[in-house]
Amino acid sequence: MSVTARFRFGRKGPVRFLGHLDMLRYFQRAVMKSGIPAKYSEGFHPHQLMSFAYPLAVAMETEGDYMDLDLAEEKPADGILEDLNSVMHEGVWVSRVSILGEGAANAMALVAAADYRIFTGYTKEALIQACDGLLASDSILIEKSKKNGKKKKETIQKDIRPGILRLEAEEDGALFMKLVSGSGMNVRPADILSLIVEKCGEDSRDPLIRRLEIYGEEGGELLPLSDCGGGKKSGD
Amino acid sequence: MRFEDRKLALPDRILMKVEKPARYTGGEPNSVCKEADPVRIRFCMCFPDVYEIGMSHLGLQILYGMMNAWEDVWCERVFSPWQDLDRILREEKIPLFALESQDPLSGFDFIGITLQYEMCYVNILQILDLAGIPLHAAERGENDPIVIGGGPCTYNPEPLADFFDLFYIGEGETRYRELFDLYEEGLPRAEFLHRAAAIEGMYVPSLYKTEYHEDGRLLSMTPVYDDVPVSVKKTLVKELDDCFYPTAPVVPLIQATQDRAVLEVMRGCIRGCRFCQAGQIYKPTRWRSVEKLLEYARELMQNTGYDELSLSSLSTSDYPYLNELLQELIRICSEKKINISLPSLRIDAFSLDVMNKVQDVKKNSLTFAPEAGSQRMRDVINKGITREEILNGAEMAFRGGWNRVKLYFMLGLPGERPEDVAAIAELCNDIAALYYETVPKEQRQGRVNITASSSFFVPKPFTAFQWAPMDRMESFLKKAAYCKESVMKQLNQKSISYHYHDSGTTLIEGVLARGDRRLSTVIETVYRNGGLFDAWTESFSLERWLDAFESCGLDPDFYVFREREKDEFFPWDLIDCGVSKEYLYREWLNAKAGKVTKNCADKCAACGCTSYMCGICISPKGGAA
Ligand code: SF4
Ligand code: SF4
Repeated sequence: MSVTARFRFGRKGPVRFLGHLDMLRYFQRAVMKSGIPAKYSEGFHPHQLMSFAYPLAVAMETEGDYMDLDLAEEKPADGILEDLNSVMHEGVWVSRVSILGEGAANAMALVAAADYRIFTGYTKEALIQACDGLLASDSILIEKSKKNGKKKKETIQKDIRPGILRLEAEEDGALFMKLVSGSGMNVRPADILSLIVEKCGEDSRDPLIRRLEIYGEEGGELLPLSDCGGGKKSGD
Repeated sequence: MRFEDRKLALPDRILMKVEKPARYTGGEPNSVCKEADPVRIRFCMCFPDVYEIGMSHLGLQILYGMMNAWEDVWCERVFSPWQDLDRILREEKIPLFALESQDPLSGFDFIGITLQYEMCYVNILQILDLAGIPLHAAERGENDPIVIGGGPCTYNPEPLADFFDLFYIGEGETRYRELFDLYEEGLPRAEFLHRAAAIEGMYVPSLYKTEYHEDGRLLSMTPVYDDVPVSVKKTLVKELDDCFYPTAPVVPLIQATQDRAVLEVMRGCIRGCRFCQAGQIYKPTRWRSVEKLLEYARELMQNTGYDELSLSSLSTSDYPYLNELLQELIRICSEKKINISLPSLRIDAFSLDVMNKVQDVKKNSLTFAPEAGSQRMRDVINKGITREEILNGAEMAFRGGWNRVKLYFMLGLPGERPEDVAAIAELCNDIAALYYETVPKEQRQGRVNITASSSFFVPKPFTAFQWAPMDRMESFLKKAAYCKESVMKQLNQKSISYHYHDSGTTLIEGVLARGDRRLSTVIETVYRNGGLFDAWTESFSLERWLDAFESCGLDPDFYVFREREKDEFFPWDLIDCGVSKEYLYREWLNAKAGKVTKNCADKCAACGCTSYMCGICISPKGGAA
């Protein structure tokens, strides 16, 4: 039997400069320290069976990212949450743990959309104008580089307009967006940001991108990943 | 100061531009942030190479942990900014900062620089320069940090004499408290340094004046004040079990070169190989007890979350309680799914059995370091490993399923003859032949795989070969070619691959290793002409160094290619590392005569270290456990 726990986590501050593999190592060590009964692979160099929903880009903050971990035995979600948070280092925290039901799909396969907030140096007015402009277009073509089989890079044009589910200017230069993510269509916040820069001119500050939530699709509805796949959650 | 309150010294725009921004952001698990009060001393520990290399160094973790355990001291870290950031810092005039507080280095009380290899010397100037600290100790004022050097290269720190206020000779655990107490008296800089010179292990280069013979050899180094000692004695820890151990080391967030927990089982080495500086300067051999080591191992696992634990020492096979230690460690580690990595142990029945338990035999290779191919040459260098021992070890290993062997050699050793070079090829061939004799055809998994590599021997201070001339590059290359040729002639040549390292840095390493303080100007010239990261082949330029020697009117050949006279006064003679010059000279004569000297465990060679009254000198069988 195997039990999988899904962790919703956040990161902010200097740790946001870590790459995806560094985050993986960070969590493996945290799990090791916490005493959570992780399940290990077989062989001479056993490792934890851990996977992430959506690799974090360098410099991105998050409030709602997800990591799945196989456990060797079932444990209450509350206890696991506490154990892991007790060994977390500043800037990284776990906000929720769900124990997945038997046969639940892994987090990465579920990803359908994500929310972001980008903190910019633009005025609210400028942002409203830029957003209205973008939302009014029927199609937004951007160049994406696509890796070809033979290592050749080729650029193709892609229409990302259908992938923008929401785009709103907020107070103090913040910009909220809900974007489609997945293997078919995948819109990154950086794509939107460069469109905004095109319209508003160079930003006076370094923009900060924060992911707020990642959603999966169940029964035609977008649900936060911690609510996908049934099972028990911390705090239930 | 709390971590989340830190404001990074570099804006995102820069961090996004440089390779591995996490090299510069700090905040790793177990790193330490402190409030301004009651901190009275701000110490910045510097490893003058990139973060990933510096963070792999145990010595840094020891001092970091030890100092931060003191209330009045806040120890932080800095590493060499890589070339991309180096350029940006200069262009944008951003002063170099410490990782923890992100504060500029210039405001610290001490910059402690660890000197691990000669080829990092120019990087030291980069650090000082980017920090806005005057390069020359003589030009520093009351508000500039005290620049202090430590580590193996301080056993001849003379080429760096101009840039350091102070060198700490010996093991860091013993004298920093005393030094800091003195510093807290708030004395003027010159007086502080003068008084510091009275503390064991403290060498203040500005307090000695040097005179030279007409032919350029050093004549003398004499203290400028009567109360400054004529020689500086290495300081060391007598009882390892009583000293600080970093069981909560800073765990890098990006992958370090050595990304694992480290358990230092002992210090020093009993073996006295004549080419080896570490074997002499860390004498006498001292051990930790099994009890303590197991306690540290448990704490390390708990505090770091590392999935690998590595035993460390110069020669772990000589740790007297290895069996006992490993039995227990293997048990604890397999329970927690932690891998044990064993540094190259001497290959024998015991080590093979252990390796079998902790590694995948099929994926790992056996390692031998005979250093020389012929028995004659191994006697010259006092490498106490015989052909029989190598062959016996290999045979046992082959029976156990190993089929990959790595062998390390040196070329350019004093007194080396063509037949010694050819013997490298012959030894490889014998090992290969042994495989085919030992392992029946149907059990073989392809060919046996023997990899031999040679590096270039560089004579170092405090070794029997400190008198010896270094081989010339042409000669090294010729020998390497001859060795390759000899390999090709062997019956089993298809199973042997031979490599040699000619990093190009050898000549410079040789000069700096046995150089004097006149070389400071050469180092500075190289730095001014764009030298940086010399330890990295792609950024090293021999030209740049040769030009600098020329413009400074110094001849590099003088430092490396002459055989020194028995009584020549060496730049490092001022330092007393425990072993006497008489002993080393005896060893030089023994080398010339091809006479072997027994190791400390078998028979004391009266090297002079008994004055420390500790370790193997007083309890030859290992008295720690
Ligand atoms: S065994 Fe020889 S080479 Fe190795 S550390 Fe000891 S003295 Fe040096
Ligand atoms: S005094 Fe003897 S036992 Fe002690 S380190 Fe020297 S040679 Fe070894």
